[in-house]
Amino acid sequence: MVFSSLLFLFRFMPVAFLLYYITPRRFKNLMILLLSLVFYSWGEPKYFPIMIASILCDYFCGRLIEANRSKKWVCKLGLIISVVFNIGMLMFFKYSNFFIENFNAATGLSIGLLKLTLPLGISFYTFQTLSYTIDVYRGDVKAETNIIDFGAFVCLFPQLIAGPIVKYTDINRELKTRTINLPQIQEGIRWFIFGLGKKVLIANNIGSLWDEVQRLGFTNVSTPLAWMGILAFSLQIYFDFSGYSLMAIGLGKMLGFDFPQNFNLPYISKSMTEFWRRWHMTLGSWFREYVYIPLGGNRKGKARMYLNLFIVWAATGFWHGASWNFLLWGVFFAVLLIVEKAWLLPHLNRGKVWPHVYAVALLLISWAIFAITDLSQLGVFLQKLFAFDGGVDWVYYLRGYLITIVVAIFCSTPAVEKLYQKFKDVEWIDICVLALILVLSVAYLVDATYNPFLYFRF
Amino acid sequence: MKQITKYPLVLLFAAFIAVLSVLDMFVSRREFSEMENRYLQLKPTFTVKSLMNGKYTSTYETYINDQFVLRDNWISLKSRTEYLIGKQENNSVVYGKDHYMFDKLDRLDEERIKQNLSNVKEFFTRYSDTPATFAVIPNSYAVLSDKLPYGLALVDQFAYIDKWYAEVGGTGAATLSLKESLLEHKDNYIYYMTDHHWTTYGAYLAYSDYVRSRGMEPVEYDSLTANEVKGFYGTYFSKSKLFNAVPDIITWMDIPTTSVTIDGGTTIFDSNKQEVPVTGLYWQDKFETRDKYAAFLYGNNGVTVIQSENNRYHSEGKTSRILVIKDSYGNSMVPYLTYNYDEVVVLDLRAIPFNMSEFMAENEFDEILLLYNFKNFSEDINFTRLKY
Repeated sequence: MVFSSLLFLFRFMPVAFLLYYITPRRFKNLMILLLSLVFYSWGEPKYFPIMIASILCDYFCGRLIEANRSKKWVCKLGLIISVVFNIGMLMFFKYSNFFIENFNAATGLSIGLLKLTLPLGISFYTFQTLSYTIDVYRGDVKAETNIIDFGAFVCLFPQLIAGPIVKYTDINRELKTRTINLPQIQEGIRWFIFGLGKKVLIANNIGSLWDEVQRLGFTNVSTPLAWMGILAFSLQIYFDFSGYSLMAIGLGKMLGFDFPQNFNLPYISKSMTEFWRRWHMTLGSWFREYVYIPLGGNRKGKARMYLNLFIVWAATGFWHGASWNFLLWGVFFAVLLIVEKAWLLPHLNRGKVWPHVYAVALLLISWAIFAITDLSQLGVFLQKLFAFDGGVDWVYYLRGYLITIVVAIFCSTPAVEKLYQKFKDVEWIDICVLALILVLSVAYLVDATYNPFLYFRF
Repeated sequence: MKQITKYPLVLLFAAFIAVLSVLDMFVSRREFSEMENRYLQLKPTFTVKSLMNGKYTSTYETYINDQFVLRDNWISLKSRTEYLIGKQENNSVVYGKDHYMFDKLDRLDEERIKQNLSNVKEFFTRYSDTPATFAVIPNSYAVLSDKLPYGLALVDQFAYIDKWYAEVGGTGAATLSLKESLLEHKDNYIYYMTDHHWTTYGAYLAYSDYVRSRGMEPVEYDSLTANEVKGFYGTYFSKSKLFNAVPDIITWMDIPTTSVTIDGGTTIFDSNKQEVPVTGLYWQDKFETRDKYAAFLYGNNGVTVIQSENNRYHSEGKTSRILVIKDSYGNSMVPYLTYNYDEVVVLDLRAIPFNMSEFMAENEFDEILLLYNFKNFSEDINFTRLKY
């Protein structure tokens, strides 16, 4: 189930929250667990056992480590089991066909592909549970003894399928005692509505422009339309993803949890370094904490730091999908980040306008790499961007999308926040804005000609 | 609980969700949407199997969407919003000038076209003893191109038609260009604004072109008694659901017949499986519904045989017969043909229950007309039936 659906808004959500609020405090986590399992299993009940297995495996690994603190090798064993299980599942479901295809291509064999559908949200929840076992192993946190609470953490429905990646240490206190009060619920509703609007009103609306460009074929569109298309995709993925995160954060608040922020106006960055501190922040910090720093980070000399950056960003790219373009996308950032670290960053930080031009231009290109899975098509598209090809096809699309693009760009800057702060205290204006977003979102969901779920690859 | 009034957002949000949810659960279900001209999803029946393969849940989601309370009002709200932000299309329907809507046909399935052409050529070659004509009707945007929004590049239909004609012409079949007369009369309401079909007058122009190409004169348009049905919202409207669409007017002609049979009988079944008698060229009841164009020839049926005494070219002791293989565009054109042929046999490849070769062996025709609209010709998958 996805949040941006009538089914969620008018069936799951009212029932879930009603049940949750009337459930006595000590059974609330059990209620969360049950609701989350329904939420998760809706649509793909066959992956229910995988979820359960995931909960059980990490729960027992955690307990095993906790109970044998003095025996180093048992702790190691617990960690290894958890890592092998989580990474193994991710590899199996997400990457096996990729490896088979490439193995076939390299050897000329024709090993049959596996008929697998990617379990919803597997990339997110395997990372979450991994962080738990690693933290327990490191002694940063005590192992969870209550399996209900642990289950509630793993499949907490707001963040289950598209992030933010909530680490156990982010919410372990709230799992035990949390306050659920009206100010917090109000705040949660506000974030939820903003998130819904970002996804349904902006992302879906602008995303259809990129869809058009793809449908027309990269060879057939003019250069201005190609740029408009990739701009549209860049805005779509940001509003879709950050909207989804915002909805999750809002729902979390309504349940009494504080999830970490996931996006912080990434498109106002002046460098790629800054971009990755503002974009999908929970993923970035996950890789930093569990890959980059264990690899030595920047403590083992420059050459090693560059290598580490390379590894981390190649992995980040590959995490987004099992195909070469995602790997390329990661490497693209790795190279830029290394260049920035080695030389460019101080210049970028001093600049005023040109760093923004630099960042936006490179980000647009990075999204082209991200969006186009077929590498030869990617070549065609990049050629279209840079070898000018005239035509008037863009006039029609500009007319239809101009307002949406302007609104989206405006909402990607701090200006929208400033404007909102001005009026936020006038209660009726605040309520009217939120009501308008909610009502329009429902209208767009009822007549949803285009409402994709972009993270099926993640 | 008292302090909840201090949090109006919580109160309003909860009320909004709760009221709509409850209303939605108890509001009566519709089987058919007049506005969208389509069947809506009803509540799926639960089975363990359909749950496990994901069918139940996905159908259930469609059901929730299709049956959502005040669905038509939400759709209209969206349409208004889209209008305000300058969108000029919805659901592949483009909004042109003068309230016209058009198909956003910007890509073609070349592979399909190749197959269709080859099937048609094979058919014409096989029955080359009978004079045959191949006619492709351009869709509205091709003729009314000055009404399209600026910059929108759609498929160049005339260029394609020329190419197809050159290819099919090689079989000895005649090809009929409708471009000239349609363009000449492009300001005479020859296409509907809200529907993908041509108007009864547009069909008349093609009819005239055809009979002239066969060396006959058409019946004069003004000599026929025209009837008008107002308030026609066609397929483009049903797809786009544009809130300020202007309805079309459907014209139908009083044309007497002596016998009309559909698939050998004089009754057909409507969507509720009720038997309806066939009394002429028009299914009058359909003019009262949303799907008004379906009145012509009672919609798309397998074989319709029309006999009349209208034929001005009747020669004693002979029954002249024409076979029209057509899509729905043909339905509004066929009635005129009764003034030039004793018997008009209308065949829709999408609905025939028999083999074409048997049919052709059992029947004899003086002429064959294959009449399709451009879009349908490029997409239809039933031309293979010409082979068997």
